[in-house]
Amino acid sequence: MNETNNNTADVIIIGGGVAGLSTAMQLAMRGQRVIVLERQRLGCGSSGRAAGLLGQLRGTAEHTRMLADGLEIVMELEKRAGVEIYVKTGSLRIAETPERAQEIQELVAMGKSIGFNIDHISIAETARRLPYMKTDDLIEACYSPTDGHLQPAELVSAYHKVGKGLGVRYEINCPVEQVIIQGGQVKGVKTPRGEFHAPVVVNAAGPWSYLVADLAKETLPTAAIGHYYLTTRPDPDHPVDRLSPAVRNRHHRLYTRPESGGLIVGIYEDEPVEYDMEKLPKDFDMSAMKAGRDNLNVALLIHLTQQRFPWINERTPMTISTGIMTFTPDGKGLCGPLPEVQGLFHCSCCSGHGIMQSPIVGKVMADLILDGKTKYDLEFMEADRFHDVPGYQERADIKRKCYEMYASYYGQVEKANVVVKH
Amino acid sequence: MKVLIPIKRVPDTDQKIQVKPDGSGIVTDGLPFVINPFDAIAVEEALRIREKSTDTVEVLAASIGPEVCEQQLRTALAMGADNATLIQCDASLDPWNVACVLRAFAGRYQPDLILMGKQGVDDDLSQTGQMLAALLDWPQATFASKIEFLGSGLRVTRETDAGLEIVRVTLPAVVTADLRLNEPRYASMTSIMKARKKTIERITTTELGVTIEPRLQLLGLEAVPSRRKSVRVGSLDELLVKLRAEEKLL
Amino acid sequence: MRALIICEHDGKGIRLGSRSAVAFANAVAEETRGSIECVLLGHSLAAVTQDASTYAPVLVADHPALENPVADRYAKVIADVVRQRGYDLVVAAATTFAKDILPRAAGLLGGAMASEVIGHEFRDGRLCFRRPLFAGAVVATVALNAKPQIVTIRPSAYPAASARPERCGVTSFAVDEAALPKKTEFEVLQSKLSNRPDVTEARIVVSGGRGIKNSEDFERLVGGLADRLHAATGSSRALVDAGITPNAFQVGQTGKVVAPDLYIALGISGAVQHLAGMKNSKTVVAINSDPEAPIFEVADYGLVGDVYELVPQWIARLNGK
Repeated sequence: MNETNNNTADVIIIGGGVAGLSTAMQLAMRGQRVIVLERQRLGCGSSGRAAGLLGQLRGTAEHTRMLADGLEIVMELEKRAGVEIYVKTGSLRIAETPERAQEIQELVAMGKSIGFNIDHISIAETARRLPYMKTDDLIEACYSPTDGHLQPAELVSAYHKVGKGLGVRYEINCPVEQVIIQGGQVKGVKTPRGEFHAPVVVNAAGPWSYLVADLAKETLPTAAIGHYYLTTRPDPDHPVDRLSPAVRNRHHRLYTRPESGGLIVGIYEDEPVEYDMEKLPKDFDMSAMKAGRDNLNVALLIHLTQQRFPWINERTPMTISTGIMTFTPDGKGLCGPLPEVQGLFHCSCCSGHGIMQSPIVGKVMADLILDGKTKYDLEFMEADRFHDVPGYQERADIKRKCYEMYASYYGQVEKANVVVKH
Repeated sequence: MKVLIPIKRVPDTDQKIQVKPDGSGIVTDGLPFVINPFDAIAVEEALRIREKSTDTVEVLAASIGPEVCEQQLRTALAMGADNATLIQCDASLDPWNVACVLRAFAGRYQPDLILMGKQGVDDDLSQTGQMLAALLDWPQATFASKIEFLGSGLRVTRETDAGLEIVRVTLPAVVTADLRLNEPRYASMTSIMKARKKTIERITTTELGVTIEPRLQLLGLEAVPSRRKSVRVGSLDELLVKLRAEEKLL
Repeated sequence: MRALIICEHDGKGIRLGSRSAVAFANAVAEETRGSIECVLLGHSLAAVTQDASTYAPVLVADHPALENPVADRYAKVIADVVRQRGYDLVVAAATTFAKDILPRAAGLLGGAMASEVIGHEFRDGRLCFRRPLFAGAVVATVALNAKPQIVTIRPSAYPAASARPERCGVTSFAVDEAALPKKTEFEVLQSKLSNRPDVTEARIVVSGGRGIKNSEDFERLVGGLADRLHAATGSSRALVDAGITPNAFQVGQTGKVVAPDLYIALGISGAVQHLAGMKNSKTVVAINSDPEAPIFEVADYGLVGDVYELVPQWIARLNGK
């Protein structure tokens, strides 16, 4: 076996985050020879910085079905890798205004209509389940017992472990410098370690994915956005059980889940920090990102957190985690090819849902690459849905629309797409 | 009571530090700068002293350096310092220079307590507080992990190699903050906004009557290669031999 | 150059680190055809003086007022010794004792000081020092522009001096109690029981992961090895999650970020969340029973094996020393 001279594969995957690792594993399960090229270390980008919440009930029934199927994949993965990935805490949505209460009612109706396990829960019961949360201003809540979170680090190592067992080759510290295209067909990529050749290349570069698309002269409508969450240290006065439900509180733009005896709380702020990945240093390390003590986004995060968890304030011992997310103009992922280059597939941009979408997205990508189709109705996340659409061609326009999407992510009232069961 | 907190602007050392090709310094392009973490602990402690005290306590943050140091003073203000002074100086400074400038500044401001980080995380010298105490002829308590107020002085718990040492010092005094003294707060939105509007006093080292004469001269820097060796050893004995003979560890 | 070594002692003999300082001073004295002396400060120093005189000529400042190492008094006496006897170089081992006292003495003696020296050389006859910056990521070469030059050296960089065949002379130095500062009062030293250094500051960190089954085993294996190496203990998030270790131990993205000279990962798989907290360590050792564990990818030295077998063996070797 001479690995160094054998740089040819069936599929090359650019990016060793959860999207790329899941796709690699699924392709290997179907007998493909796969090489994953990672610029630093596996999972050291957005994947390693994520909170990993899994809320299966989305705006469409199809999306919900995909996430539920993804969870089956995770269960299988846990068995094969021998690690706990999924922590089934259940999840709550809470409302303090009539609009938000209406939103919850519609979601519950929609969930029930597709057979998803969700129901209204009384405020008293909410208070009982989350004694560390302020509940006296709530007017509506719903509970999904099968939600929870995926532990990002464990997920990364499980994809890696199972993939490795299936023969996937992982090249770390190996950034892609060029995409090789001949006659409109992708042939491979160029790296400091030489060329790698394959008839199929998958761009799973997360926040860098639009730059990879640029290398192939394609326009990928994504933008990179800073995100912050806090993790409190365990406080004996406010114990947070390991299986306390996750909470989504869209009025205060925040989400929360338990973590190591403390609480993770993150927000979708209305003035996010914008990043131009091309301007960051070549060896930029997302895991070294930090927030200053007088960071306004952190102050806002703590302020909003305090509205719902009054015991948390600026002086609470906590860690602030910050990283870069990838957003699209409509907040949905991008999966599949663009028309310009044959064999180049895009798979990223899960708008803060990369961890929970990765199990099913890997499967979908493998189906698209090998069969040209998937059993899911993928219209809402096809990579080419903005192709040729006016207003989505220039980087400045794309960026503006992505930032607007992020800013309104929790701000706007979600309209559930109610499906009536036949 | 007046508490003076000297603030140092340092690169965030969790980032990769790169040395310029000619070895004359580090590459600062794109490198985030922060308030020296030990100085942030000193600020936090001063704020707690102010909160607990029945007397009026004024917390003044002071930084020595070029205009950009204003950012770190704003951080200290946002955390809750009452006032800030930028002691303008473009020369590069060693601990002796900083101690001389701070002595002159203390002569004007007349603090009862100078609370500072035990070391800057950039040059890791850990000298300035002690030199300053010597120049002022004040008592010192370095590496503090606990500070208590007594009638006329302080009772300070110090972290030493031998264990926790408790000393009492009279005021005025210099105390340097160790890691376990406290966990600094984040600034609130209102205090960040207030800090942005605050006027930062400015004074020059010349106005303070200090001439900068370096004692510690930098001849050159080299990066320490951080490549992993990735050696698989077959036994514990082999591991211990490697650690002792090749790495000079243990 | 005439060098003076500030010797740290425990009341019986001088500390090992001070013997490294003697070795450094000897090297400089040889290269400059100079001489060395050491000074002892404290009270009831007969035994210590005996010990110290096997390494260098000794000056003894023995006085009840110097019973405890209080910085303002010690610095004053050191400054007096240096002024009266005219040394070119003052050196001590970089311990908290010297880090407290020597910069204060430097403040009294003109301020030319280099801390934590790990090497030295002569450039055109001028003594230059090498010392780490940025937690060891960078090494600087520096020189000092005034006399005396004051340095602390890292004991790990200079092997301890051996005893001379013949005992050296002892001179006592008269301490003027009236001139000593009296603004500091030593109250007590609470010596360490299992008071390990803080994980973010320790030179060596021993860290445990999922491979450690319970708190008792953690204390026995991770804690046991840490104590013998004067190291701090850390853990992966998995152990904090399982309630085996307190949250303060957690090394990783949502815990502490560490950069010690040596990081020993015991039974840690090396999830990204953990690597984010320790990847800046100078040297990483990993012991794990899973040969595929990602920790091996960031380790300098990897040993595949059971921590329950290997760590007790390691501890036994250290005990046997």
